[in-house]
Amino acid sequence: MTGTDNKYTEAELVALLKERQQPAFSYLYDNYSGALYSVVLSIVTERETASDVLQEVFIKIWRQIELYDPAKGRLFTWMMNITRNASIDMVRSKGFNNNQQNRELTEAVYDTVGSITTNIDKIGLRKLVYKLKEEYRTLVDLAYFQGYTQDEISKLLNIPLGTVKTRLRTALIQLREIIKP
Amino acid sequence: MDINAYIESGVIESYVLGLASADEAAELEALAAQHAAIKKAVDDFALFIQQNITENSIAPPAELKQQIMDALEEEFEEAKVVLLPLPPTGNLAGDGPAKVVKITTPGAWRYIAVAAAILFLVSAGLNYYYYVNYSSVSKDYEALLSKQKDVEAYETKYNNLQNTVTILQDSAMHVVKMAGVKNHEKDVATVYWDTRNKDVYVYVNNLPQIPAGKQYQLWAIVNGKPVDAGLLGNCDGVCKMKNIPSAQMFAITLEKEGGSQQPTLTEMYVAGKI
Repeated sequence: MTGTDNKYTEAELVALLKERQQPAFSYLYDNYSGALYSVVLSIVTERETASDVLQEVFIKIWRQIELYDPAKGRLFTWMMNITRNASIDMVRSKGFNNNQQNRELTEAVYDTVGSITTNIDKIGLRKLVYKLKEEYRTLVDLAYFQGYTQDEISKLLNIPLGTVKTRLRTALIQLREIIKP
Repeated sequence: MDINAYIESGVIESYVLGLASADEAAELEALAAQHAAIKKAVDDFALFIQQNITENSIAPPAELKQQIMDALEEEFEEAKVVLLPLPPTGNLAGDGPAKVVKITTPGAWRYIAVAAAILFLVSAGLNYYYYVNYSSVSKDYEALLSKQKDVEAYETKYNNLQNTVTILQDSAMHVVKMAGVKNHEKDVATVYWDTRNKDVYVYVNNLPQIPAGKQYQLWAIVNGKPVDAGLLGNCDGVCKMKNIPSAQMFAITLEKEGGSQQPTLTEMYVAGKI
């Protein structure tokens, strides 16, 4: 398990990153790359593309560390949101339909070789979302993993916007209950 | 407002997961700053997410880290300590403390710059070294050339003197001493006339410095008529003149450069009967 063998506190790490210190970046990568890679893989299914995205994410974190405001939340939360956004952008730039095909193909290949973590629904947050009721699961998938706005979801699913909003929040409350240790 | 209802509304989870709208986010940040419970709810959920995702980490490809480090190579800041010698002072012992200068420049360019500077210095050093070598060799060569000329000059001089000595020692030589004529009493020259082949040599014992554009000319007086016996060149010692089969007298006049057909009698310096 990474991220807990704290050599630096989050504040120290951020301070050293702002000083452009290479060891701090190396530490950041060693401690967070696995977690962030799972975030990428929950959205980008092609492994090669996923590692490109992860590289982009770390370069973004490095170059935008000045924008991170500790008052607004944890470093991990900030990095996770950068990761999610970069992953969704990548999927969109490659074309949604194309990606869906790739996803099916990728999963088929994984199934053939009998890998344990073949299914995208077993990666990271998706594993938790998978436990939600289907109506919630679809909403979270569209909103969180595919980056649709609530307005877009409303049109896509032909459900009133207010209902989308309420259901999504309910889904997230349930998610919190699942995630609570 | 009902803090608990707000916490239970799902907006906190929306916010942490990046699903909240800009308005919702701004409102939450303002409320979190006022209400510790809201702040705690945000921090708790963020921590749950972090822990859960961290527990489900997937190791990225092993080579990816190096790729990223390479990509960022020039953006890393490293404090480098460089020792610079102090500028020369009165202290010849030079044991003063070296000056420590902190140089901070981004990654690879520093190494490239240092490498370039070193190459430049090495190149400049070699240039200087070869230039000095070349100059030295060039000077040596000039000196050698000059010595060679000297040697050649001495050799000529020696040969001439050797020749002179040979002629002076030759008992077959008929010696005609030419004394200074009127107004040229101090001037003396000597003709050596080979009695076997009738070759004529002349030795200048003492004649005035030749004025520019002029030249001494030797004349043989044959049956009362002057015959050109040759011009005195820049020869050391004895100068070989023209072959004169018979003569009664020799004389030297100062003529225009290149000589004359007839002697300028007013410019006669020395003369001697055989």
